[in-house]
Amino acid sequence: MRTVLQMAAVAAAGTAIGLGANALSPHPAALAQPVLSVAESGGGACAMPTAPQAPVSSPAPWRATRITVEEAKGLCDACLAGFVDARGSHEYAHGHIQNALHLPPAGHPDEAAVVAQLRTYPLVVVYDGEYSCAVADDVAGRLRRAGLQDVRVLQGAWPAWVAAKAPSAAGMCGVCGLEALVK
Amino acid sequence: MRTVAAAARLLLGGVFLWASVTKIPDMAAFAESVANYRIVSPHLVPVVAAAVVGVEIAAGITLVLNLWTRAAALLLAGLLAVFTLGLSSALVRGIDLACGCFGGNTPATWWTVLRDVVLLALAIGVAAASPPSPARPSAVPSGQPADPAPAP
Repeated sequence: MRTVLQMAAVAAAGTAIGLGANALSPHPAALAQPVLSVAESGGGACAMPTAPQAPVSSPAPWRATRITVEEAKGLCDACLAGFVDARGSHEYAHGHIQNALHLPPAGHPDEAAVVAQLRTYPLVVVYDGEYSCAVADDVAGRLRRAGLQDVRVLQGAWPAWVAAKAPSAAGMCGVCGLEALVK
Repeated sequence: MRTVAAAARLLLGGVFLWASVTKIPDMAAFAESVANYRIVSPHLVPVVAAAVVGVEIAAGITLVLNLWTRAAALLLAGLLAVFTLGLSSALVRGIDLACGCFGGNTPATWWTVLRDVVLLALAIGVAAASPPSPARPSAVPSGQPADPAPAP
């Protein structure tokens, strides 16, 4: 009985310590937010051949050309691509590909400036956090209509980028000179 | 024998302290690792992740300091049992995940399961070698029974 009480005490103290450590962590877990697995959030499945497909509506939505995380990482490291985050403001604030511009489907207050910055890149990669990549496709289509020639959507979306975590990944890449526009 | 038990206790405590320290810089990533096991409700994942790290710290400290050793070792044995079952379940289900064990992104394999089984055995051994009540300095000279029968 005494051992059980001691176990409970260690567990309770540990929980308190863990919550404190989380608060002090430079990258804390958001306690009030549910955390979905990559599979549940659709990450790693967007547009992948083995993934179940989203219900097809008519007419079929426009789909941008996909780019793999591996390709995108290489371009990110070499500063050869501009990145656009099409998720919500909260998700963007919680973490994004470094220097990615936030361009939600509803638009950006200074969208012309964002598009002008993106024009300096030969290729633009748009990502969201959805299973279907529908939001990223939407934003990619808007950028295409704005005149950007090569706009692609990140295969697997943000969760796949995070899950890859190769040496220069984990949501980070080299500074590419877009700091001024990064919120 | 006591030296071996002390070494096992320090090793177990040290491993878990190290494991917790490596997770603290990126608790969000560890929460994602926990979520990828898909055995905890998404709403509970962040709190469970924080609690796991905290329990590793608390149990690690108590083991290193030799306080409540049995309780700490049994708690860690429970954690390791959950880790082992969770990892095995994920591997059997074909879920490709990082174990999140030491804060890195090392993919979980059956070697990871084996490592957890070894640590589980170590934790059980430490618990078995520890007295059920807090260790107290003994005033009884060696060679005499620590709890002699009451005088008639």
